[in-house]
Amino acid sequence: MNPDDELAERFRAGDEHALRLAYDRYGGAVLYLGVRLLGNRADAEDVTQTTFVAAWQGRGTFDPERGGMLGWLLGIARRKAVDRLRSAAREERVATTVRAQPVADEESPERVLDRLVVADELAQLPAEQRRSLELAFYDDLTHPQIAALTGLPLGTVKSHIRRGMANLRRRWEVDGAASGSRSAGPSRAL
Amino acid sequence: MQHLDPDRLVLLALSEETADSDESVHLAECPGCSAEIDDLRHVAELGAETQGLRALPPPPERVWAGIEAAVTAPVRRLPQRRERRWVLPVLAAAAAAVLAIAGTVTVQRFTDRPEPPAVTAKASLGRLGGAPVAAGGAAEVIEGSKLRLDVRNLPLTTGYYEVWLIDPDDMTRMMAMGNLSSAALSGAADVVLPLPPGADLNRYRLVDVSAEAYDGDAAHSGKSLLRGTLTN
Repeated sequence: MNPDDELAERFRAGDEHALRLAYDRYGGAVLYLGVRLLGNRADAEDVTQTTFVAAWQGRGTFDPERGGMLGWLLGIARRKAVDRLRSAAREERVATTVRAQPVADEESPERVLDRLVVADELAQLPAEQRRSLELAFYDDLTHPQIAALTGLPLGTVKSHIRRGMANLRRRWEVDGAASGSRSAGPSRAL
Repeated sequence: MQHLDPDRLVLLALSEETADSDESVHLAECPGCSAEIDDLRHVAELGAETQGLRALPPPPERVWAGIEAAVTAPVRRLPQRRERRWVLPVLAAAAAAVLAIAGTVTVQRFTDRPEPPAVTAKASLGRLGGAPVAAGGAAEVIEGSKLRLDVRNLPLTTGYYEVWLIDPDDMTRMMAMGNLSSAALSGAADVVLPLPPGADLNRYRLVDVSAEAYDGDAAHSGKSLLRGTLTN
């Protein structure tokens, strides 16, 4: 069993130590999502807190068959953040003074969530696979350039990149915002 | 034309090469290959955006404190509330009795509480030139075996903060105690570091927090931000 699955299993079983481990493992990503969606740190910290509390109280609804813990937690955090934005918008409408609204971030919550999931998967790829992809993504290097830089044969670089892309894609399909498990089912209530 | 091979699709998705005219025609006609390349392109785009997301700073400890309080609240808080409700009517009835009871309650609370860990030395950390005006903190030695640091308002850094114990009589003598987590960056941090057994805290009594770069050089950078002397 990989460490993330083991953590999820212990969390589901109600091991309080696993709550802290999950917080250490995923807290940064949840907070980041909150900051990106809400645009301020205090609200994002609040959402992080309520997300972990809701996740702990609703741990029985987490279904490992439908995806990983990161995707589940980010799904909860996204709903908490969106609820908060909606209630803020309601208050705004009720208020008599008309204030200039800050320019809304063009980026969709789904995109931020997907990016966090892909970043998490990238970090877990075998070292050579990860390094090859980083050079392609961040430095825009071609396969031959990556081969020259890393000293790996071109064929190996090709297969690292193809497999790495396949891994990222699989994880994105399972834990990304568009995956079925995030839009229906009992965990919707959290 | 036959379907595009997986390696070729990846190359096209990464925009490393452009589709030739046969491939373009096939991609326009074949739903399988075009869905495949759309997904790969999307993943490649997301991948390119992940730089900077790989070592996200953890939330500050206060967020954890809130979570911990919320998940354990029903057990811990109930007795206190009952106590208060019970004391109030008595207060209305007889002042003298209340004094006695309140005294009892205080004593009970005092004795019920677990012994706080013994602080054997402490230092208040003042800022040095490179630190913002609001920066500061405190250090405590707990039972001679742990160093607890509470720091606030350290400047943002692309490196990290290292904690040192220095001999003020010979400033070239120092021991690295460990680093402050990036929690320190987000406002305030409370960190406990183990002290090496047998460390002479009478000699190495100057607590120093320095800004370090990820340069592979284990020596003190010379950029101290906070300092304070341990006293018993």
